[in-house]
Amino acid sequence: MKVSYSSDEERFREEVRKWFEDNTPPDVKDQTLGGSTLEHGLMFKWHKTLYEKGWISPEFPKELGGAGLSETEQFIFNYEYSHCGAPRLKTKLVSLGMLAPLLLQHGTKEQQDRFIPDMLSGKTIWCQGFSEPNAGSDLASLNLKAVLEGDHFVLNGQKTWTSMADHADWIFLLVRTDSSGKKQEGISFLLADLKTPGITIRPIEALTDHAPFCEVFFDDVLVPKENLVGKMGEGWKLAGALLQHERLNAFPVGELIYAIETVRKNSAKTIYRGKPLIQDPVFRRKLAALEVDCNSLLYTFFRILSQLKVGSAPGPEASFLKVYGSELYRRVMDLNIEALGPYGQSWYNLEEFDNSIHQATMGWINSTSLTIWGGSSEIQRTVIATQVLKLPRK
Amino acid sequence: MDFQLSSEHLSLKESVASFVKKDHSFDRLRDLRNDPLGYSKEVWKKMAELGWMGLIYPEEYGGLELDFAFVMVLLEEFGRGLLPEPWISNVLLGGNLVLMGGSESQKHEVLPGVVSGDLMVTAAYLENDGRYDIDFCATSAEQRGDAYFISGKKIFVLDGLSADRFVVTTRTSGSVADRNGITLFMVSSQDDGVKLTPLKTMDGRNACILELKDVSVPGSNVIGEVGRGYPLLSEAIDQATAGLCAEMVGGMHASIDLTVAYLSERTQFGKPIGAFQTPQHKAADLFIQKELALSSVYYAIASIDEKTDERTLAVSIAKAKCSSAYMEITKAAIQLFGGIGFTNEGDIGFFLKRAKVSEILFGDTDYHLDRYTRLSGY
Repeated sequence: MKVSYSSDEERFREEVRKWFEDNTPPDVKDQTLGGSTLEHGLMFKWHKTLYEKGWISPEFPKELGGAGLSETEQFIFNYEYSHCGAPRLKTKLVSLGMLAPLLLQHGTKEQQDRFIPDMLSGKTIWCQGFSEPNAGSDLASLNLKAVLEGDHFVLNGQKTWTSMADHADWIFLLVRTDSSGKKQEGISFLLADLKTPGITIRPIEALTDHAPFCEVFFDDVLVPKENLVGKMGEGWKLAGALLQHERLNAFPVGELIYAIETVRKNSAKTIYRGKPLIQDPVFRRKLAALEVDCNSLLYTFFRILSQLKVGSAPGPEASFLKVYGSELYRRVMDLNIEALGPYGQSWYNLEEFDNSIHQATMGWINSTSLTIWGGSSEIQRTVIATQVLKLPRK
Repeated sequence: MDFQLSSEHLSLKESVASFVKKDHSFDRLRDLRNDPLGYSKEVWKKMAELGWMGLIYPEEYGGLELDFAFVMVLLEEFGRGLLPEPWISNVLLGGNLVLMGGSESQKHEVLPGVVSGDLMVTAAYLENDGRYDIDFCATSAEQRGDAYFISGKKIFVLDGLSADRFVVTTRTSGSVADRNGITLFMVSSQDDGVKLTPLKTMDGRNACILELKDVSVPGSNVIGEVGRGYPLLSEAIDQATAGLCAEMVGGMHASIDLTVAYLSERTQFGKPIGAFQTPQHKAADLFIQKELALSSVYYAIASIDEKTDERTLAVSIAKAKCSSAYMEITKAAIQLFGGIGFTNEGDIGFFLKRAKVSEILFGDTDYHLDRYTRLSGY
């Protein structure tokens, strides 16, 4: 057993750390806690910076525009990326993070050549059309209808919670192509240009006062049949495969560590009756308990990484990264705002107070969504109980 | 970064698991509740014959000289079955202190006996009014001529009732909570002025109160240097704590296995209770806590093995995590079992009691959180 990185890995870590330290602009860095509310223009610019460095998707093989990183290097890269305070890159998350690996496995050569290069350069921004008003946790109940007529599918229905739809160019969709059999079997996977006539996009304002997601309406929208990924009726299987690609990326642990370090810094700066808050016996114990949990989660990543390194599939420990990580993140953000005392109620007083206060309250509100999207905590626990612990379903 | 176990580790795991299955049972624990020692000398001897007492000791003292991850593997399996034999106190405390600080002649005198299982050595360091602090030491050692005269009282000496020898912390200079000025002495249970009062712990194992009244020991019984006992003690207790954490994780595994099996077979309202979401989600939480605890133990064990500067911090992280996780898991397990969980007829209750004793042993969650804050320079 070994707890440290090899000297090559350590060199790589230092290189990545230094580069992000030197090249992450302050206006990008300052808005990352609890999920990003980064302004879109800044995000596109940051995407371009990473693309030019060759680090937009370093996990890809070199011939596909990546850096061909090993499993350990990928982990180090992702960790150092978010640990320096860089934002979750929504322009990459669903395109290069999910769709591109799926196209490489199940798409046609034409689809790969047509879409992946523009995902890398940021020329095409993608969004993910899965959820519907009546298909949330029960995703297979989705009902956006796609009827094949000649060379086109005709789409009618609605998607919702579609992140970035108002800034995206394309959308990948789960659509209903058959309602006769089991509900999972009549679903297909389609790619659609958001400029197609008949598509209406309505942003939804969140508790942050930003509109991170939208409703997307489809009214007799024509999608060419070559935009089908896989075969008709394979959509549910492909959606499952797509989520497989998350693996270690299911939760950005570097961002969590950045957040808890921020709490430590904030509570060392906050003075209460002449002494730093971090020296208050009750507060410091709460902080220590959270740091213990954050570290235990980080070490779980190391454990999974050790398995990936020798080529074995991650074991059951990978199943809880998202549910536990998101709940822990919420506890960290709770303590971050607690450290602020009266300032913890502050909202958009950017002129009056320093930005860390805005970051804390915005991050706190934002963190309440982490346990909902990407499989709610309730769904995840049922999955662990039935699939990992093999408890009976009925 | 590598948390993979080698095939040698896995092969030890298998042989320990089969030993625990063959030579141990929960019924044995039921019988041992009424035994003052709480373990069996016969089983202890068998363990020694398998070479397990010498697991990490150098070959020249009869040991196998293996790395620290073998400790984790061994103790995790002991923890699954709740094997009560006093391995941690003898190998990681008493013998370990001699190994780390003893002179060559002390090592040759003590370690082969520990390895063969014939000599029982533990450490005595806790005192009244000091809670879990290992630097709190009022027991005095006064030098008169060539000898030292020790007076004081140690509480909850781990496996103390069966010990032939005690490594005792004494104060040779400084005030009661100073780290400097603590000296370690080897004291025999047969020495004049030594009084043992037997104690039982909740899990059926033994401890004792050790009272020393003007006990005379030669200067050659000092372990390490006079006044410099604390770093040795601290290192040994860190290793013992990491080992205990591995044992606790084994207990967590077993508690969850037993609970999941019960939830799957116990039927109410026409279906297994494990098909209801409330127990399902509770079971998922327990699984998550166990996995996190296991990760913290891997990190602590690997840190000790690699002797990194972070190892002390890593041990406190692991103990804080394991203490709270083991308690949460076993308390919830009792609840999920219902009435049978609250009886001595069921097995799950043994884990609750062991969890409570393990939580307290070497310092509870709050103790280790406080230690963590100090080590982190808050």
